[in-house]
Amino acid sequence: MIRNPARTGIVIAGLALATVPLLKLPAFYESFFYLIFYWVVLATSWNILSGYSGYFSFGHGAFFGIGMYTTATLAGQFGVPFVWTLPIAAVISALFGMGLGAVVFRVGRLRGELFALITLAVTFVVATVVLNTPIDGGQGVNLGGVKLPALTGSASSTLYLLMLMMAVATVWIAHAIFRSRLGLGLFAIHDDEDVAEVLGVPTFSYKIGALGISCALAGAAGAIHAMFVSYVTVGETFSVFVPLTVVLMSVLGGTRHWLGPAVGASVITGLLYIFTAGDFAVAGRAAVGLILVVVILFMPDGLLGRFINTGRKRPSDEAPAIPTSTVPASDSALPAAAAGAAPAHALKSGAPSGEPLLMVRGLAKSFKGLRALDGVDLVVKRGEILGLVGPNGSGKSTLINVVSGHYRATAGSVAFSGQGELAGLPAHRIAHAGIARTYQIPRPFPHLTVLQNVALPAMFGRARLTAAEAEREALTWLEFTGLGVKTHALPEDLNLHQRKFLELARALAARPELLLLDEVLSGLTPGEIDGAIRTIRAIRDRGATIVFVEHVMRAVMELTDRIVVLNNGRVIAEGAPADVMARPEVVTAYLGKPHAATA
Amino acid sequence: MSLPSATLLAQSILSGVFIGALYGLLGLGLSLSWGMLRQINLAHFALAFLGAYLTHQLTAVAHWDPLLTLLVIVPAFFALGVLMQATFARFAITPFNSLLVTFGLTVIIESAIQAIWTADPRMLDSAYGHSKFKVGALYVPLPELLTLVFAIALALLTWATLRYTDLGKAMRAAAEDAKAAAAFGVDVRRLALLLSGASAAFAGVAGLCLALSFTLAPSQIYAWIGVVFAAVMIGGLGNPLGPLVAGVVIGVSESVTMAITAPAWAPLVSFSLLIAVLLARAEKI
Amino acid sequence: MKTVTRLSTAWTAAALLALAAAGPAQAATSGPPIRIGSTLSLTGPLSGTAIIHKIVGEIYVDQLNKKDGLLGRPVEWVVKDDQSKPDLARTLYEQLITVDKVDLVIGPYATPNIVSAMGVAQRYNKILVHHTMGIPSLAKYDMQFPAWSVGPNPETTVPNTVLDALATLPKPPKTVAIVTSKFPSVFLMSKGAQEVVKKRGLSEVLFLEWEFGNRDYGAIANRVKDAKPDFVWVGAIGLEGNQLLDAMKKIDYTPPLHFYMYPAPGPLAKLPEAKNALAASIFEQHPPFTNNPVAAEFVKLYNDRAAKAGLADNAVETQAAASFSTWQVLEAAIKATNGLNDKAMSDWLKKNQVDTIQGKLRFDKTNNYGDDLMRVKQIQNGQWVTVWPKEWAAPGAKILGQ
Repeated sequence: MIRNPARTGIVIAGLALATVPLLKLPAFYESFFYLIFYWVVLATSWNILSGYSGYFSFGHGAFFGIGMYTTATLAGQFGVPFVWTLPIAAVISALFGMGLGAVVFRVGRLRGELFALITLAVTFVVATVVLNTPIDGGQGVNLGGVKLPALTGSASSTLYLLMLMMAVATVWIAHAIFRSRLGLGLFAIHDDEDVAEVLGVPTFSYKIGALGISCALAGAAGAIHAMFVSYVTVGETFSVFVPLTVVLMSVLGGTRHWLGPAVGASVITGLLYIFTAGDFAVAGRAAVGLILVVVILFMPDGLLGRFINTGRKRPSDEAPAIPTSTVPASDSALPAAAAGAAPAHALKSGAPSGEPLLMVRGLAKSFKGLRALDGVDLVVKRGEILGLVGPNGSGKSTLINVVSGHYRATAGSVAFSGQGELAGLPAHRIAHAGIARTYQIPRPFPHLTVLQNVALPAMFGRARLTAAEAEREALTWLEFTGLGVKTHALPEDLNLHQRKFLELARALAARPELLLLDEVLSGLTPGEIDGAIRTIRAIRDRGATIVFVEHVMRAVMELTDRIVVLNNGRVIAEGAPADVMARPEVVTAYLGKPHAATA
Repeated sequence: MSLPSATLLAQSILSGVFIGALYGLLGLGLSLSWGMLRQINLAHFALAFLGAYLTHQLTAVAHWDPLLTLLVIVPAFFALGVLMQATFARFAITPFNSLLVTFGLTVIIESAIQAIWTADPRMLDSAYGHSKFKVGALYVPLPELLTLVFAIALALLTWATLRYTDLGKAMRAAAEDAKAAAAFGVDVRRLALLLSGASAAFAGVAGLCLALSFTLAPSQIYAWIGVVFAAVMIGGLGNPLGPLVAGVVIGVSESVTMAITAPAWAPLVSFSLLIAVLLARAEKI
Repeated sequence: MKTVTRLSTAWTAAALLALAAAGPAQAATSGPPIRIGSTLSLTGPLSGTAIIHKIVGEIYVDQLNKKDGLLGRPVEWVVKDDQSKPDLARTLYEQLITVDKVDLVIGPYATPNIVSAMGVAQRYNKILVHHTMGIPSLAKYDMQFPAWSVGPNPETTVPNTVLDALATLPKPPKTVAIVTSKFPSVFLMSKGAQEVVKKRGLSEVLFLEWEFGNRDYGAIANRVKDAKPDFVWVGAIGLEGNQLLDAMKKIDYTPPLHFYMYPAPGPLAKLPEAKNALAASIFEQHPPFTNNPVAAEFVKLYNDRAAKAGLADNAVETQAAASFSTWQVLEAAIKATNGLNDKAMSDWLKKNQVDTIQGKLRFDKTNNYGDDLMRVKQIQNGQWVTVWPKEWAAPGAKILGQ
C-alpha cells in the first residue's frame, strides 16, 4: 500500500519527464517545458506562503530577482561555477525573506493589504539598489561565458532537467507542507490567525518558515533562469509582471490546493504560447484575457476548486493534514447525547484540592485610554468551577482574552502553577502551558471541517498529539459534545448551539489544565442550557478546572463553587454564589442605584 | 551631492506635488472600489488609458477642446462602470478573484487600444500643453494645474458626499455590512452600481490628465500600477482623501531626491519611506 | 484525324487553363519556398518600435517575390511574437530552428532579445544577421553580423562624431550636461560620452541618471536648467526624450544645444521646443541617401504601408533603415554563395563588403563589427535633416546652433 500516493505520483511524473531529453526531441519542446516548469516553481512557491496562510505577497519578484542576481554576480563577475551558485542563491533569498518577515510579522497584526504593499515596496527598493550598485550598475550582466554543468549534451536539455528537478521538488514540498502540521497551521492562520495562535499554533515561526521555504525555492528558480536568458537586466528581472503573474496563476488553479498553482501555471503558459503566431498576436492576447475572465467568473475557487475540502460528503484525501478513515469504530461508541463517557485520562487537573492553580495579580489592560481591566486580583483553585460574573462591559471577556494571551496585558502578572509567569508570553505558549478557552461568539475555522477544527488544538495544545492521535482525540470529544455525526461538515452547516459545542470540543481537545468558558450558554434555549450544564459538570467531574463566565444566573448558581464579580475592570466581590449575589454592592453594580428610597 | 538652490528645490517639490496629484486621481477610483466594493480593480488603469486615448483622438483628430471631451467621456465611462458592476454582481467574486478578472479585462482593453491606435507612442499637442503660469519664480504649467485641481476637487467631492449626504452614509453602511444596511432599507445593489460608475468616471478624468501631460503607449498601462497601488494602500482603502495625500507624499519624496542626488535612487527613498510609515502605523493596534 | 484534333485541342485547352490558373505571380519563381524565421515584439512594451521592423520585413519579402525571389525560389518570412520577453524569444527561435526547420533565421528587435536569439543561433550554427543590437561587446558569437553599423565601440565613436559636428559651429560648446536613462544600451553610450567629453577637454557640469520607467522629469529638467550647460547630451530612449523636453518647456528652458540618443523620432520632431535637437542616425529619407534608387523605392513603399498601418510617424529613419539593411545583407550573402549554407555565408561576409542603403557595410573588426556609419541629424523646421558628416548632409544643410 503506497503510504503517500500523491507524493509518489509526483516523483514518478518527474522521473517520466526526466526521460524526455533521451527522446532527442527538438530543443523547442524542452525549452517550452522549461518555461512551464519555471512558472510552476514560482507560482507554487508563492502559494506556500500566500495561498496557504493568506498573507498575500506582491514581492515574489524580489526573491526571484535576488536569486537571479546572486548567480549573475557570482558566476558572471566572480567566475564561481554555476552549480555552487544555486544553493547560495536559495539561501540568500531565504535569508532576505526571513529577515523581512522577522521585522514585518512582528509588527502588530499586519493584515492582508499592508503585507502586500510592503512586499511590493521591497521589490522596488531591491531593484533600485541592484541598479545603482556594482551588482548591475545599469549595463546588465552577461552570462554568455558561464558554463552549464554537463548533465546532458545540450544546453536546453540541461536547463530542462535542472528546472524539472526544481519543479518536482517544489510541488513535492508544497504537498508535504499541505499535509503536515505546518500546513494545517498555515490554513488555520488563513482562516483566523488570532484564534490559531490562541489554540497553540506558533504563528510567527510558521509564517517565517513558510516565507523562508517560499523564498528559497524562488531564489533557486531565479538562479537557473539567469542561465536561460544569459543576459540579466534590472528592468526584465524586477518588473511588476512576475509577482502579478504568479498570483494570477495560483488563483486560476486554486490557492487552497497544493497542485493549484502548478495547474494554473501550465494553463496560462500554454495559452500564451498558442497565440504567438505573428499575424494574430494582438488578437491572441485579447483572447487570453477573455479566457481568464470567463474561467474565474464561473470557477471562483479556481480550476481545482472542486477538489478542495469536500469533506462534507466523504473524507477527502486532499484535505489538509489529517489522514482519515483509519479510526476504528469502537472509539465512536459513545451515546450521542453525550454527558457520560469522556476518557478518564483526558483532563488531569487532579482531584479538587483547593490549591491555587492560577494566580492573577494586579492585571491591567488598556485600549488607547479605555481601561478595560484596572488591577484584577483573583485566584483559581484546582478542580473548582469558578464563576466570573458582572454587568456588560465589566471586563469579563477581556480578562479571558488577556489570560489566554489573545491580548497582551498592559500590567500585572498571571502565574500558572508549575509553569511560571504567563503574562507577556505569546498566546501559543500559554496554550502549551495548558490553558484553553472558548469564544463567546464562536470562531471556528470556516474552511476546515468540524473534525479538523477539533483536531488542531489537540495537535498544537498542551497534549501535542500526532495527527493520527489528534484525530482520535477529536472524535472522542465530538461524540462527547454530541457532534459525532457532523465530523465532516463545515462550520457553516452547524446551527448556533452546535457551534457553541464545537467551541467546547475544541477547547477540550487540547487537554487543558484550565478551561475558560466565555458565555458558552448565550443564545441557547432552556432545554439546550440544561444539556450544557450537564456537560460542563461532567467535564469538571473528569478533573478539569473551569472558569465560567456567564450571564445566565440559573446556570451560575447551579454550577459554580465560587464566584467572582467584576465591575469596571475590578473585582468587587468574591465568595459563595448565593452569598455574593445578595450583596448590595453587587446588586447595585448590576441594576444601578435604586431611585426609590426603600432599603 | 550639491546643495540645490531654493528655486530648484521649490520647483521640484511643486513637480512632485503635481505628479502626486495624478497618482491620487488615479488612485481615487481604485481606492473606492477596493475599500467599498471589495474589488481590486486592475482594469481601472486600462480604463484610464482608454480615456486618455479617447481624449487624444477627439482632440488631435476631431479638434475638440480637451476639456470638452469630458462631456462625452464621463457619461460613457460611468455607463461602463455600471455595466462592469452589474456583471460582477451576478457572480460572487472574492477580492483576489476580482484581481484576476480585472487583469483579464486589462489585457483585453490593452489589446483593443493596440489594435485601434497601434503601439506607436503618441503625445497630444494641445493649446493647454503650451500654457503655463508663473508664480514668483515658480512655473505652474496648465495641464499639471488642471490635474491638481481635478484631483483635489474630485477627492473633496467624494469625501463630502460620503461624509455628509444620506447617499454617502448609505454607501458607507453598505460597505461595512451589506446585510445590515439592506435590512435598514438601503438599496445596496443600486449603490454598488453608482459607486462603480463613479469610479470609472474618475478613471476617465484621470485619462484626460494623462493625455495632456504624458506620452501614451499601450504598455504604459502597467507602469503606473505599482506606485498607485502604493498610494492607495498607504492612504487607506475607501478613504477618498487618502490616495491624494499619499500620492503627493510619494511624488514629493521622489522629486526631492531627484533634486538633491542621483535621480536613479528616487524609488528607494519613496518606497523606504512607505515601508517605514507602514511599520510605524501598524504598530499602533 | 478527328480524334487527334480533339485530343490536341483538349490538351491545349488544359495547358492554357493551367497557365491561367498559375497566374503571373508564379511565373518568375518556382520550387519550395525559402523560409526565413524570426521573432518580433508584436505585443508588450517594445511593440511600438517592433511594428516598424514588421513592415520593413514584409516590404522586403514582397519585393523579392515580385522579382526572382532568392535563388529562383519564393521567400516566406515566418514571424512569431516574443511578447517583448527574452526567454520567450529564445524558446521561439528554438522552435523556428528545430521544429519549423526554417532555412535561415534573422534577428529580432532590441538587445535583450537579440542576445537570446544569438545564443540559440550559436548552438545550432546558424548565421544571425540582426539590426538593433545596442551593446557590441555582448555580441560574441562568431557567425552573427550587425546590419546596424555602429562599429565595435560606439560609446566612443558616436560621441566623438557628435562633438565633431558641434565643433564646426561658430561658437562650439564648452560645458556639457549629460543626463541619461539607465536602460543598458543607452547607458553604455552615455558613460562613453562622459569619457569622451573629458578627453576632449570639455567641462562636464552635470551627470544625472534616472531609472528606465521614470515618470517625473521635473526635478531633472530643473537641475539641467540650473547647470546652464552649453550642450545637453540626453541619453533617452523612446518616450523619455519627449518627456524631458516637455518638462523643460514647462519651466521655460530650452537647452542651447541638445542631443538625444534613441528618441522616438516622429513625436520629437513635432514638438516646437525640440527645435535644433540633434540625434544619431544612419539614414534619413532625403538626398544623398535617396539618390540610391533602391533606397528611394523603399522609402516610397514604407511611407505608404506605414500610413496604412496607422502609424503616427511614416518616415524612414534609423530603425527602418537598419531593418532593411539586414535583409540586404542576408540577400547579398545568399546570392554570393549561391546557397543557404550558414558557414559559407558567414565566411563570405567576413571577407566582403555589402552595399546597403546606409552605405557600404563591412564585418571585419571586433565582434564582426565594421565601420561606424552613424551620422548626426537635426530637427530643422520641424523635419529631420542629416547635418554631419558633410558628405551625407542633406543638400545645403548644415548644423545650426543657438
